[in-house]
Amino acid sequence: MSQFLLVLVSGVASGAVYGLMGLGLVIIYRATDVVNFAMASLATLGLYVAVSLHDRGVATVVGVLAAIAITVAAGMLVRETVIRPLGQGQLFSALVVTMGVSLIAESVAGSIWGDQPKAFPNLVDGTVRWSGAALPVQSLVTIAVAAVAMALVGYLFARTTLGSAMRAAAESADTARVIGLSSQRLARISWALGLGLAALAACLYAPRSGLVPTALVAPLFRAFAGIFLGGLTSMYGAVLGGLTIGVLDNLAANYVSASFRDTFVFSFTVLVLLIRPQGMFGTRTFQRV
Amino acid sequence: MVFNRSLLAKAALGPAAGAVLMAFMAGGAIPAYQMYSVGLAAVYTIVVLSVGLLAGWSGIWSVGHPAFFAIGAYFTAYGSAHDWPLEAVVLGAVATGAVLGGFIGYAGARFSVLYIALLTLAFTTVTLEVVNRWSSVTGGDQGVPVIQLRSALGLGTLLGGGTNAQYLAVGAAAVVLALAVPAAASGLRMRLVAAKSHPLAARTIGIAPEAQSALSFAVSAACTCFAGVLLGLLTGFVSPEPFSLAFGISLIAACVLGGVGTLIGAVAGGAYLTWNPSLSSAVGLPQPVVQGLVLIAVLLFLPGGAVPFLAKLGRSILRRVPRRPEGHVPAVVDEPADPSPLRAAAETGADTPVLLRLEHVSVSYGGLKALEDASLSLRQNEILAVIGPNGAGKTTLLNALSGLTGNGRVNGSADFTGRPLLKARATARRRLGIGRTFQHAEVFSELTVAENVLCTRRLITARDRQAVARLLRSVGLADVADRRPDELPFGLQKRLDLARAMAGEPKLMILDEPFGGLDTGERALLAQQIRRLHANGTAVVVIDHVLDDLFAVAHRVIAFDFGRTIGEGAPDTVLQDPAVRSSYLGTVDGRTRPPERVGERSMIRLRGIGHTYGGVVALRDIDLDIRQGVVLGIAGANGAGKSTLGGILHGSLKPARGARETGGAVRTSLAPEGRALFKTLTLRENLEVAAYAAGITGASLRERLEDTVEWLPPRLRDRMSASAAGLSGGEQQMLAIARALIVRPDVLIVDEPALGLAPALVDEVYDRLARLAHDGLTVVLLEQLLSRALSVCHEVVVLHEGGIAAHGRPDDPQFAALAEAAYFSGGLDAATTAVPADARTSPVK
Repeated sequence: MSQFLLVLVSGVASGAVYGLMGLGLVIIYRATDVVNFAMASLATLGLYVAVSLHDRGVATVVGVLAAIAITVAAGMLVRETVIRPLGQGQLFSALVVTMGVSLIAESVAGSIWGDQPKAFPNLVDGTVRWSGAALPVQSLVTIAVAAVAMALVGYLFARTTLGSAMRAAAESADTARVIGLSSQRLARISWALGLGLAALAACLYAPRSGLVPTALVAPLFRAFAGIFLGGLTSMYGAVLGGLTIGVLDNLAANYVSASFRDTFVFSFTVLVLLIRPQGMFGTRTFQRV
Repeated sequence: MVFNRSLLAKAALGPAAGAVLMAFMAGGAIPAYQMYSVGLAAVYTIVVLSVGLLAGWSGIWSVGHPAFFAIGAYFTAYGSAHDWPLEAVVLGAVATGAVLGGFIGYAGARFSVLYIALLTLAFTTVTLEVVNRWSSVTGGDQGVPVIQLRSALGLGTLLGGGTNAQYLAVGAAAVVLALAVPAAASGLRMRLVAAKSHPLAARTIGIAPEAQSALSFAVSAACTCFAGVLLGLLTGFVSPEPFSLAFGISLIAACVLGGVGTLIGAVAGGAYLTWNPSLSSAVGLPQPVVQGLVLIAVLLFLPGGAVPFLAKLGRSILRRVPRRPEGHVPAVVDEPADPSPLRAAAETGADTPVLLRLEHVSVSYGGLKALEDASLSLRQNEILAVIGPNGAGKTTLLNALSGLTGNGRVNGSADFTGRPLLKARATARRRLGIGRTFQHAEVFSELTVAENVLCTRRLITARDRQAVARLLRSVGLADVADRRPDELPFGLQKRLDLARAMAGEPKLMILDEPFGGLDTGERALLAQQIRRLHANGTAVVVIDHVLDDLFAVAHRVIAFDFGRTIGEGAPDTVLQDPAVRSSYLGTVDGRTRPPERVGERSMIRLRGIGHTYGGVVALRDIDLDIRQGVVLGIAGANGAGKSTLGGILHGSLKPARGARETGGAVRTSLAPEGRALFKTLTLRENLEVAAYAAGITGASLRERLEDTVEWLPPRLRDRMSASAAGLSGGEQQMLAIARALIVRPDVLIVDEPALGLAPALVDEVYDRLARLAHDGLTVVLLEQLLSRALSVCHEVVVLHEGGIAAHGRPDDPQFAALAEAAYFSGGLDAATTAVPADARTSPVK
């Protein structure tokens, strides 16, 4: 039982990270039609900066903020230089361009900071005992921080006029243009928000995995699995899908086979998609002549 | 498939180049250390070709091909360890690839390009995980050697990593390239491209996109598995390293770099993949950086690929192709039109048996009933016209007949030549004998004109080519048979759409607004085409807004409104039916016009405005002056250019020609056609967002919001936190007007406020608009119903085919008749009811 509780908490903690990353992907996709594959490797650059600061004795929290700032700045640079020139509606080209950016960013990180794994500091150390299980405080903090971040995003989108405008532009870019919303400004805000969430997710994930240039590829893929499950355009879907994947992933690793966890997770996702192509919360589109 | 000489010559190019290359290899002209690279380039060429043709022909971008490549390679290693014959390894790998690929292709057909890319990415991830962990077979990251493969047919033994494997790779690439040449000229490719460029239109000519994508993915995956076998033999050692995700990304770069779907491009891409490491060390950057930079540069600057770019450059230097001037209409093989084919045909039509019978057919999308209880019957050899205002359900009726209702619910029964129709799939209806055209001429833009028609055949024989040539000649497209549809004016695209539907020799032809967007000469030609179709024994159902053309060809007319039949009759009498007439013109009731407070100040002035969409003229020569305080009605049938004019007046649409001036700082606001509310937002959020877009925030936003909420009817005021999706049509319209009002506009433009509303609600909406006008707001009303425009506006402009056909004041007793004539036929010189087209339209030059 205590083992199960441990797996469950660790699954929810992983899921919170995937959900946060998926939320970032969905926010950017809804606003700009770009599936930002480079999100993880840009966040990796942020993580390396945070580790460098930590090595010089800067507080971890400051390092995390620096990671977020660097990631957002790098992301904005990428958008302005290589995404916007592509033009509107280039879904596949934009995806491939971000794949190219991700190759470059990983390689740059490797050549600056080396390919040897580095330790990333926990935000907090220690464990708490609960029903016979020793739960790592870091896991609980991960869940709490992710929950607060998600709640803030929820507040932004549900309760503020800016959030309404972002949802409006995502629902119909044409109507948004007719009533005079500035789609570029909203796109920039979404892009920054999405990358900020990814960087935060990265900082929560890295203490467990250690830091190498490709450290975030695995959580990025699981975040993808999560948004497939949830539907590419649903923010709730991204969070719930991420959580589902996190829990399944940890259950599979502990009770099925640690070697084939991604196989398990993706097979499950593909099965769900075969039954419900639009994902659990996505909306189905129909072409009319 | 027809093998002509040039095709054979082209197909022979690959083997010839391969043979020359092998001769060089054998003769020692290629240094030993490059021999392996040449072999590798050959293997990569096959992979790039597989990925590139899949993308170019089927529109599927796969990031999953590294996995198939790996499957082939590990098959080789496993076969070598277990002493399988070469042939068994090849067959096993190809079959595995075909089955897996077919499954992915079939499952993927329901997803968008983006989803398939991400799904195949997941496939690569999973395969790599299996490869890394299943060490007993794959050797994990240690890899496994390929010692040798012996041929069961006695063709000798291939050593892993030996020279023979290099020759085999080059030979195999040559053969694959040679096979791709006739495939590129085949009906198969045309059908793939057709399914890719317009899946819906493809269904109407019997092409099922799922089957096409399953087939093409299966072939592509099988070829890549085969290339994997070659790779295993070439390297003599298989490890996970060459099959990384980065390889998948580079593969896409290689495809795009060479030019997607071109054969020489695939060779260039294969070479790029092979020598990329050398390129990287030459420029002194890490390999992934070079790969990433090349990828981004190609997508940004050469999205069409390097090889097609160079070829185009070369062609444009060699010869300058003169472009046919826009609007030139190639002549049709002209038969003198029978002076009175109509009546004679109608009489024969009355005696022939019933071809199609619809009984109580309804189509609903969610809660919306697009078609309600439609019943009609059509005789063989009859031309039936279906008319009705915008939103009446006409297109839905056609979609129900051709099976394109999507996820709508279809009820009722339909019987076509004695067989039930509604249960048949869209792809099966062409076989039943139904052909259709589309309002916007949904042709396959990536095929030539001839191929657009040829792709209706599975296997193309010489006779098919002749028949298609004849067909194209008969509709006047023979001169442009080798051109792409998007190079042609809209009128010719519509002819192509018709020709494609005629190629199936249907018993029933369905025409969706065939006259829309055509000029006078083209319309006369089309009428002639329709009569000829009929003369050849085809029954026709046609819908359109251009009534006089329609009535000139039809034997019988059925009128629709609100999804149901409201009248039926002969073309010359149907408009006398009051119900039919009022569905277009509206009924003039006792509505009062607001008092006129027109000032002298000009709010918006248009001079010589013209606008086109992709070659179709939407507006021409519009001069308009909107003075302060006026209620200006802009009336016209669907497609007359009202919404375009509304967008230009609003300022959100930039006209192609002419000038828009405003008298000082004039704030305009538009309530668009169909309301265009944000349905996922609440009522309050819809209003807030509009104010926010105008730069209103904080306290002044709250104050405006309060004012605007006050303006709304009470039943909306109580539901400000509910989502806008739950509103009825009339409530949505109120909210849309409120949203336009929150920015306190000087000019309010309302596009078709009554569309789809019940009469009581229409009155309410118009009362509100009249009150706004009463308070001095300048209002521009875009209105399909002429009588409504006449009853509420101070000034009415009638649009006909993009131009102003009448402009006057409803209180002028002469104006109503003038406006009505303008509405239906563009002016008083033409009659309002149908007369044969020949009497009116000018003869074709």
